[in-house]
Amino acid sequence: MADRAFSLTGRRTTVAPGLILKLVVLTVLGVLIFAPLAKTVLETLTADGIGAWGDVLYGRLAPNLFYRPLVNTLVIGVSVAVGTVLIGGFLAWLVVMTDIPFRRTIGVMATLPFMIPSFATALAWGTLFRNGRLGGSVGFLEGLGVGIPDWLAWGMVPTLVVLIAHYYSLAFAVIAAALASVNSDLVEAAQLAGAKRRRVLFGIVLPVVLPAMVAGASLTFAGGVSNFATPALLGLPVRMQTLATRLFGMIETGQVERGYVIAVLLIAVSALFLWLGNRLIAGRRSFATITGKGGRAKRFTLGASRWPLFAVALLICLATTVVPIIALVASSLAPSSARLFSNWTLHYWAGAPDPAIAQGQAGIIHNADFISATGTTIGLGLVVAVTGSLLGLLVAYAIARYRRGPLTATIAQVSFVPLLVPGIAFGAAYIALFGAPIGPFPALYGTFLLLVIAATAYLVPFSVQSGQAVIRQVSGDLEESARLTGAGFLRRMAEITVPLAIRGLMAGAILIFVKIVRDLSLVVLLFTPVTPLLSVVAYRYASEGFMQFAHAITVVILAISIAATLLANRLQARSQPWMQS
Amino acid sequence: MIEVSDIHKRFDDVSAVAGVSFKVPSGAFLVLLGPSGCGKSTMLRMLAGLEMPTGGTIAFDGKVVSDGDRGWMTDPALRNVGLVFQSYALWPHKTVAGNVEWPLKVANWPKAERKARVGEVLKLLAIGNLADRYPNEISGGQQQRVAIARMIGPRPGILLFDEPLSNLDAKLRVEMRTELLRVHRATGATSVYVTHDQVEAMTMASHVAVMDNGRVEQFGPPGMLVSQPATAFVASFVGTPPGNLLRLDAPADQRLAGLVPAAEGGPALAMYRAEDIAVSTEPTKHSVALEFAEMSPIAGRAMITGVNGDLRLTAVVDRPPPVRPGERIFFQLPEKPAAMFDADGARIA
Repeated sequence: MADRAFSLTGRRTTVAPGLILKLVVLTVLGVLIFAPLAKTVLETLTADGIGAWGDVLYGRLAPNLFYRPLVNTLVIGVSVAVGTVLIGGFLAWLVVMTDIPFRRTIGVMATLPFMIPSFATALAWGTLFRNGRLGGSVGFLEGLGVGIPDWLAWGMVPTLVVLIAHYYSLAFAVIAAALASVNSDLVEAAQLAGAKRRRVLFGIVLPVVLPAMVAGASLTFAGGVSNFATPALLGLPVRMQTLATRLFGMIETGQVERGYVIAVLLIAVSALFLWLGNRLIAGRRSFATITGKGGRAKRFTLGASRWPLFAVALLICLATTVVPIIALVASSLAPSSARLFSNWTLHYWAGAPDPAIAQGQAGIIHNADFISATGTTIGLGLVVAVTGSLLGLLVAYAIARYRRGPLTATIAQVSFVPLLVPGIAFGAAYIALFGAPIGPFPALYGTFLLLVIAATAYLVPFSVQSGQAVIRQVSGDLEESARLTGAGFLRRMAEITVPLAIRGLMAGAILIFVKIVRDLSLVVLLFTPVTPLLSVVAYRYASEGFMQFAHAITVVILAISIAATLLANRLQARSQPWMQS
Repeated sequence: MIEVSDIHKRFDDVSAVAGVSFKVPSGAFLVLLGPSGCGKSTMLRMLAGLEMPTGGTIAFDGKVVSDGDRGWMTDPALRNVGLVFQSYALWPHKTVAGNVEWPLKVANWPKAERKARVGEVLKLLAIGNLADRYPNEISGGQQQRVAIARMIGPRPGILLFDEPLSNLDAKLRVEMRTELLRVHRATGATSVYVTHDQVEAMTMASHVAVMDNGRVEQFGPPGMLVSQPATAFVASFVGTPPGNLLRLDAPADQRLAGLVPAAEGGPALAMYRAEDIAVSTEPTKHSVALEFAEMSPIAGRAMITGVNGDLRLTAVVDRPPPVRPGERIFFQLPEKPAAMFDADGARIA
């Protein structure tokens, strides 16, 4: 952008290349991300806020308020990062680099769990594993007569299982994209050198995709640390607190300052870990592998272990996709979760009001809230997919093409920040900043626009991650040769970088759409009756004990997400004729 | 005309180009020749305007386009240059015609002229039949032609080539050399060509800048580099085969005692041309015994190499003696070396 801005007038570049672009990007990120968070920090520096710092850090309640939740949070973050990279990386390797049977099917299935909201997976876990400890109806397994111990029904173990099952597809997507870019020459060169499969994997492939593995681990670590719904549903009933649930509890009970203090501490703790991960990647050379010349895929032959490995992969995929979906669908039809497959009825979907069932509530398709929430949710998802992708591409471009200089590191760090902020805290920060008029601008609270801005900002890390993966794969030569023709920044983007990167961009846009459609934590504070959203309606049903309605709406959310993915896959295949040979 | 004055380029702590100056007239074919890492590609990128020099100036036709001392440069697109990348950098999502046409589109050429020009350059490069193919559907040599066609489309005054032939096989390379020279003449442009292959430099260049460690070792026409090498590096790098360099160590090398001038004032290097050395199977006056290593026929003559430890001599003779690898063979040196260099490689005689 810098070079073009000057060359239009025939003047000469007097500033470092990319400086103007970087300043623009930094300003946008500053307003979207930094301003709301700064406001939150300011709130903790009032007289009440300073008292709250004391309570949280060294008061009598400090172990309960902060230290125990901190330990739980870190255990979750590290376990989820390790678990997701192991499982996601294993599947990515199978799908991209080997001749495993049905690789495409596994590839599609491995991306699905992320589209199932974590609260849905948690609800499905409850449907299956709930035991009698808390009273109420038990889950399917106890209904079958299988005794479920408390540690498997509640607390840390189910939380970790659900979160890993939810986030591993994120690691899969990132690592698979990197593996797909490993030039077969690299592998063949190693094979010619006499390296066996294991040696090639650990000596060549892993080092090349290491940046992607670290990026995947960073993403899932942050996801685990800031996830609210899963520990809330599976941990809170047995008083297992994480920083996110603590924060929610504080704000819910009106202890706003303590909540903000915990939010600030949570951000600080996660920031430390992510900064470490980011340093690991930033120091490495970039492995730009799509050059102007074509590349080929090279697959290992698995031999005798082909079918056993396939069975393992299939088991992982089924347990994290089909099983929870069946549980959700069945429990949206069955009056009792202990007998999931008996007495099915469509009442919760389409029934007329019946005083004998669910306190006279009609099925969801007769519910006006549900209808308008569907429209708002899809609209929000589409708008944010576009705004988020554009912003992500811009930021990723600024980072990848102008790697020198202090601003680049700042941009990378700021764009990571929302990952550290639990959605619910981010929503609160947005209300704090935009709840009242700022200068000539009216208050945005309750508007669709606020949802769009907040969601775009909240998803910047994801859009930048996919943008970076995309940009780094398009070799710098291709863009430089366009620059030599005199094509300006926007034109190079629109005609060279974006068309080459469309596959990754589409994948990124879908990721954003799906995240918005199934998001709960961010919008639960921002939504108003004017802008109802599906996930909030579902959550409200669940909290009122109408599990079947909650599950029915969750199934709708799933259907939208999966349909979006399939559609995008088709579009993608058509828009790249040069990929077919 | 291209005038480069005392150009420097540092990347953080590494100095890639350290004080390069040269001047070539319009229509020249300048080759930047040197081993990997000598700074020639960085020099080319500075000419293209893709890198800002950290010192010195570059002027095209008397107009300064890069000024490293003041830290400004003209945008690449405004320099009237075209560049062929080593990787070709063809846009994989555009057809051959699309690749060639796009720069013209960016430059706002009217459609009719654009189409005409695309047809013209594709014809010039003999790839008119490939217009609708995608880059991954054509061969490496054809991709090379597309890259050149794309570069000359907008009629740049300066053509830049970054090791364009290094990805081609030997036969294609020879063919493309001719092709490139034809394009160079057809466009009348000034060309700057980066390579590590001295044969390319010798065959194509009107001017050669031999570079090593970020500096120009010698600048001049190809013939002069061979006949009057300015440094030991140049002597060992150009010519087919390159000159033989013998170390004249202070305690005189027993193998060469009496054959080469005594090293006066410290270690030095003596250069003997391959064509000045005679070989025979019997010892002669002024000869050194070596083990026969290899021989190859060159245009009716024979190139023979013999070794003895780190001593290695190559001679070009009319009639090769009947020897087999491992046998002894005698290399007869001329009375005086063709050139002498001091320990730092500077020419002293």
